Amino acid sequence: MKRVRGLRPFWPLVLLVVVACAQAAEEYSFDSSAFEKKPFELGGYAQLKQEDFSFNRGAAFYRLANFDQPQRDRLDRTTATLQLAGKLRQGIGTFDFRTNSDLQRDQLARDHDNTVFEAAYSLRPDPGLTMEAGKRVLRWGKGYAWNPIGFVERTKDPNDPELAREGFAMADADLIFNPGGNLQTVAFTPVLLPVGKDVNGDFGASGHLNPAAKLYLLYRDTDIDLAWQGKGSRPARYGMDFSRNLVSNFEIHGEWARILQFTKPVTDRAGVVTSETGNADSTLLGLRYLTARDTTYIAEYYRNGTGYSAAEADPFYQLVDTAFATGNSALVQKALSLSQGSYGRPNPGQEYVYFRAQQKDALGIVYFQPAITAMMNWQDRSYQLTPELLYTGVKNLDLRLRLFLLHGGASTDFGEKQNSRKLEFYARYYF
Amino acid sequence: MKTLLGLMLCLVALPAAAIDGQQILAKVDRNLEPESYEAYRKLIDIQPDGSKKEYVLYSMKKGRDRVVALFLSPPADKGRVTLRLEDNMWLYMPEVGRPIRITSLQSVTGSIFNNADILRIDYGAEYDVETAEEQKDAFLLSLKAKTGEVAYDRLKMWVDRQLLLPVTIEAYAASGLLLKTLHFRDIKDFGGGIRRPATLETDSPLYKGYKSVMLWSGLKKGTFRDEIFTLNYLPRIQELRK
Repeated sequence: MKRVRGLRPFWPLVLLVVVACAQAAEEYSFDSSAFEKKPFELGGYAQLKQEDFSFNRGAAFYRLANFDQPQRDRLDRTTATLQLAGKLRQGIGTFDFRTNSDLQRDQLARDHDNTVFEAAYSLRPDPGLTMEAGKRVLRWGKGYAWNPIGFVERTKDPNDPELAREGFAMADADLIFNPGGNLQTVAFTPVLLPVGKDVNGDFGASGHLNPAAKLYLLYRDTDIDLAWQGKGSRPARYGMDFSRNLVSNFEIHGEWARILQFTKPVTDRAGVVTSETGNADSTLLGLRYLTARDTTYIAEYYRNGTGYSAAEADPFYQLVDTAFATGNSALVQKALSLSQGSYGRPNPGQEYVYFRAQQKDALGIVYFQPAITAMMNWQDRSYQLTPELLYTGVKNLDLRLRLFLLHGGASTDFGEKQNSRKLEFYARYYF
Repeated sequence: MKTLLGLMLCLVALPAAAIDGQQILAKVDRNLEPESYEAYRKLIDIQPDGSKKEYVLYSMKKGRDRVVALFLSPPADKGRVTLRLEDNMWLYMPEVGRPIRITSLQSVTGSIFNNADILRIDYGAEYDVETAEEQKDAFLLSLKAKTGEVAYDRLKMWVDRQLLLPVTIEAYAASGLLLKTLHFRDIKDFGGGIRRPATLETDSPLYKGYKSVMLWSGLKKGTFRDEIFTLNYLPRIQELRK
């Protein structure tokens, strides 16, 4: 008894060792049975985003968007998003879906939107063959900010290239071969994309079953894609891309696409629109470089064959100036209509340069990643700078803060956009 | 007498001369994993303040140089797939919808384990044995990368003499800088004749106070079709699991 009493001062230490051992055991236990495949899976994220827009009230797109509306310098917008992704499996078949629901509120309006991004059934009778039907996102191309050969997808937002997007209803298949030797992989993806009154209406003209295909080759460690889309709802087009690591931390990529007989509406300063038809070639060249200090640089040059040169864009901005200076409502309507078409695309210009630098674990903080992105219209020299802070250190939570700074003179791409500045913050919780 | 002495010296010298580092490395590769296998792994990143971040991956390896790893957890990474074909590596993210090329030095998890550690292929496929020496309980192999594409220029590998399994590996950059140390622990019988360390710990002088741990479970031999190790199959990898 005395001996036990003598040990009493050490009990806390013993307890500490026992607890530490128990913790160590817990730390290193892993039973994979909890992660076995389930017949039904559901996941996704909930996100709350706050945006603060500072408007450029003299800009063409501000004036058009706020025509006959109360004028304001700022707008605060809150958006709640719920994105659900799930799978239902049975045998060789899988049904998977991704839905997106937004609830948006600002000083001017409230809005909500529910969209099915993807919902498709796929059959895999063999690892070399998959057949799918339903709404699907097929992302073609190797570019980070732009994809000229993205023939069967909705246009990517270069401000958020990794954001999930809505797909198109289609039937597609994947056939994979491994010939061996220098040609390591061959994969063929045929696609049929219908456009009707209620299906894929925003793809192009109704009443067509649009065929498309992509042939992927991994040849001598280089990814090569050959892509084609037949004439139908849109003009026919074809193109190719490649991607290759020159050394392990330095990748180069490129894309080229030709749209046959593409028609581009071009306006003059009086609002007289003419259609120019011809083949449109788009090219993208890019690189991705990782330094020993874990800084990633992405740079891309994009020549948009369907875009407007600075000389072609200038009459549009003059038309807007004239319309608002004279108060001619017919001219305003004409400019408004053009702004809702190809002049109002996120990147309507002909030449762009994109640059992004991101630093992993910056300032010695693990999971903290600051970045800066610059996008410039090379012809009119207007640009957008986006500093960004991202923290993913809290379990299942992403926190991102971004500031968009737009700069450019009159009659320039970024100088005539609606905002001169935007501050954006989101918290995204994954489940 | 001189001849006898010479003979004796030869006999003493024989075991040392008999060490075939390349053969030991080949044994280490096969003892660590079958040439083709499937397994579950948990990666735990431990920060200096004790907080942890965990990832669970399902991996398949075929032959000497094809590996694919699917993220099962956490939810933010679920569905991501990394593929390695020889020196080529790609990352597929379901929300992005297309694979992008990544490098061996990057870490898709953000931990001390980089992509080369997560998508590790046979040591013998990437390294040549420069020297092999006998120590009391271990063989010490000095390995040199076969090409500049390999994540670590040199490795020092201490191999258990009895089990022919690695105990400690030091990874060095071409400059001679120690990048990280890998510690293999907790020898476990996985069945099917596979007996190997179930725990791999790593620390790095470049990340003072941080530690990463890789735990193995459900390791077993497998046979896989070549088509699985292709970019087009990455979105469907998760359908292959039992």
